[in-house]
Amino acid sequence: MTTTIMRTTARVTVPIVLVVAISLFLQGHNLPGGGFIGGVLTVAAFVLIYVAYDLDYLESGVLGREVASGTSVFEHRTVTAYRRALLAGLVIVLGSGFAGILVGDPFLTQGYVHIEGVPIYHEVELASALVFDLGVFLVVVGSLLTIVSVVSAE
Amino acid sequence: MAPDLTIVTTAVALPFVAAVLSPLLYRVLGERTGYAGAVVAAASFGLLATEVNSDGTVGASWIPALDVGIQFTVDGWGLLFALLASGIGVLVFVYSAEYMHGEEELARYYAALLAFMGSILGVALASDLVFIFLFWELTSLCSFVLIGHYTEDGESRYSARMAMVVTVGGGLCLLAGLLMLAVAARGALGGVTFDLTAMIANDEAMRASLRESGLFVPALGLIVAAAAAKSAQVPLHFWLPNAMVAPTPVSAFLHSATMVKVGVYFLGRVRPLLMSPEWVWLVATLGLLTMTVGALLAVAATDTKELLAYSTASHLGLMVAGFGFDIVYGGEAGAFHLLNHALFKAPLFLVAGIVAHEAGTRNLDHLGGLWRELPITAAITVVAALSMAGIPPFNGFYSKELLFEAAYEVAHEAGGFAWLYPAVATLASVLTVVYSVKFLALFFGERRAPVADVHRPPIALVGPPAVLATAAVVVSVAPQLAVDAIVQGAVDATATGEAQLEVGLPTHFSPPVAMSAVAVLGGFAAYPLRGHLAAGIRRGVDAPIPVRPSGWYDWIVSTTEVSSARFGSAVHNGLLRTYVGWVAGAGSLLALAGFAAVGGPLGIGEIGGIGVPLAVAVVLGVATLAGVAVATASSHVSGVLTMSILGFMLAIFFILASAPDLALTQLVVETLILLIFLLVLQRLPSFYSEIRPLALARDAAVSILVGAMAFVSVLLTIPGPAADPTSVATYYTEQAVPGGGGTNVVNVILVDFRAFDTLGELLVVATAAIAILVLVTMRTRGEASAPEDEAEPIPDGGDSP
Repeated sequence: MTTTIMRTTARVTVPIVLVVAISLFLQGHNLPGGGFIGGVLTVAAFVLIYVAYDLDYLESGVLGREVASGTSVFEHRTVTAYRRALLAGLVIVLGSGFAGILVGDPFLTQGYVHIEGVPIYHEVELASALVFDLGVFLVVVGSLLTIVSVVSAE
Repeated sequence: MAPDLTIVTTAVALPFVAAVLSPLLYRVLGERTGYAGAVVAAASFGLLATEVNSDGTVGASWIPALDVGIQFTVDGWGLLFALLASGIGVLVFVYSAEYMHGEEELARYYAALLAFMGSILGVALASDLVFIFLFWELTSLCSFVLIGHYTEDGESRYSARMAMVVTVGGGLCLLAGLLMLAVAARGALGGVTFDLTAMIANDEAMRASLRESGLFVPALGLIVAAAAAKSAQVPLHFWLPNAMVAPTPVSAFLHSATMVKVGVYFLGRVRPLLMSPEWVWLVATLGLLTMTVGALLAVAATDTKELLAYSTASHLGLMVAGFGFDIVYGGEAGAFHLLNHALFKAPLFLVAGIVAHEAGTRNLDHLGGLWRELPITAAITVVAALSMAGIPPFNGFYSKELLFEAAYEVAHEAGGFAWLYPAVATLASVLTVVYSVKFLALFFGERRAPVADVHRPPIALVGPPAVLATAAVVVSVAPQLAVDAIVQGAVDATATGEAQLEVGLPTHFSPPVAMSAVAVLGGFAAYPLRGHLAAGIRRGVDAPIPVRPSGWYDWIVSTTEVSSARFGSAVHNGLLRTYVGWVAGAGSLLALAGFAAVGGPLGIGEIGGIGVPLAVAVVLGVATLAGVAVATASSHVSGVLTMSILGFMLAIFFILASAPDLALTQLVVETLILLIFLLVLQRLPSFYSEIRPLALARDAAVSILVGAMAFVSVLLTIPGPAADPTSVATYYTEQAVPGGGGTNVVNVILVDFRAFDTLGELLVVATAAIAILVLVTMRTRGEASAPEDEAEPIPDGGDSP
């Protein structure tokens, strides 16, 4: 699959897909979208890179680092990063749940505030649910990418 | 005076906390952990002793919607059992510290023993059915761990499994029975409740409700079956003698004094609730049958602990029979014998442990005349064995006399076949005297070969049985003292009416006194014939399988193993398509059967009236065509591509049906699946192999079944297009902006209203990722280490330096 057509397509589409994914995630509370959809779309972008290039490309091509060769897929730095994303997502989800308890609300209570007078946007709504959704996003990204990379390395 | 919730909860929770800490304690204290356990038991005992004068129910709510809560009822019956368990617990821990000297795995042993004691206290004091069940099963679990203490020993593992299967199987019966009680409580008490105290307080309404729904006999049968399994009643008695492979302190604690009495305890607890002619017929017969069979098998026993095990079953039968009779004496016999039996049987087990420890054998034929070496132990045994035999004035006599009175009164009233009750009770008591004397003969008569020199036991071994024997003597001399202290409370809690227990030596001749006289004299007369008796009984025991319950057990277990191995290889043959076929087929069949059983009306009539827009019809038509194309695709590439057509058509359908979130998700997931297929496409064969017609027919049948299930489910569960939105839907729509601050109702539901569901789903996703990670890791590890195993077998044991 590592043909020139595929690679060129991937180069053009992946940034667009990622931007769309983030916007879907951010607008989720008021328009179609949300953590799950944004997460799956992000995974699709990463898998596209994976199909067009390989697992090492993120490190060598994007970050410009040396790739330690010979390690198994479980110690691979990219896979470790995926696993960390999964863990961070779980921590954020649980943390946002317990944060409510600290101020005396039941577990997983969400709240929101409207902030006015912000430049460009004029009025911005800040919802604590966005933090929870960020956790959802990270868990979906982390777990799906872990599964895809480990299974396809088989 | 109402009991104090904090004190009761602490008394129950303390052993569990200590159990969790016991590996740590063992690291610090070593073999002295036993004494720490004794301190914990003494603390629980002391806490409960402060509640002796209180009576009532306290609790805290846990699941208010189901009326499940942490609820304890403190009354005489529960306290008697709890004080016995913690009191004997103190002695058993002290005894263990010496007896288990030099043994392995002591941290696990003490943890299980402590957790067991906590569970027993829980069973005794909890009055919420859910908690009773929980603690009940915990005792079975701890018993499993303790019976299987010697994990290297095959017999030990076999016995542990047998005890587990029988008692936990009984526990499942209990669960079913308790659920029936809870269902009946809805009719009787006006709401689903698991509150046993409330049920007993309204026993007549409960009985009427059970009868009305036809659940009375099933509930009674299930609860009695559970108690019979736990308390080793015929024909489920066979696990108890096998359980004697456990270390002796465990046998004394679990398998004579406490765990096996849980069944008896619960029968006593529900006796006021379920008392009826069926109860008398079932429970009294079961008890007397066990009393006789247990005594017969004890006479034939050749091993000290085996004798005591069968004798325990027999005495449990006595208590069950007592609770079975619908008469004041019956309940008194059961409640009082619970105390007396613990006071004489626990020291006998501890004595058997001393003898095995010091003389090196448990074979009754090789032991005799030990009183010269073990004078104190002999004195303890005299008290305990004569009490077990029911010789006046020892304490066992009083409770057995109460049973005789109950059996006689019942027979006198009912007449006819009911005269079998006193007759069987007397016969069992004759046999009880025979085996009690047989056990006592360990210490008297001639020395028998080939026992090597017998050591003096240390004080930590003799002390505990001596304390119990002293208590037995106190109850023997002044039985009314024990009655006033606690037994009267237990009698009140288990009685069906008013009961005033008065015990003492008989002052005038009466039929029950004559029964006792026959039992004692007959027993001493039959003692010289014990050899013939034992030979006859053994011939009966060796009879072919149909009359031997343990044979049934072995047959059931081995048959289950063989058939499950066959079934497993048929269902799980390693081919994913077989798994999918079984899961999808079985799931669809179950769902369809469920719809058929409920008999929901098919809404086909309403469907006819819906006008389908042209756009939707076109999209769905293309999707159907794509589905056909997937099924007939000649290669994986075309199959995957046509499958995506199907998926994208569905996404367009969602857009047309104004569900943008669903459409987005469908699109994104469809894209991801396509990409993943691209990843693995190179590894798949490019063309399908030949398909056998039979396999084709099978796959088609499964597909049609799944399709039918999906179709019927949608028809039945989706409200018609003309129907009003449900109250839940209205609530979410109205509350999304003011309550969640978002205009996307789907997202607000996901992250705010039902965030807990989302959390659960995230955990599922994370677990799936971890599971796949582990599976893949383990697979490579297994492949890597397999050749090593063949080359060099790993030696067991940790003896290497």
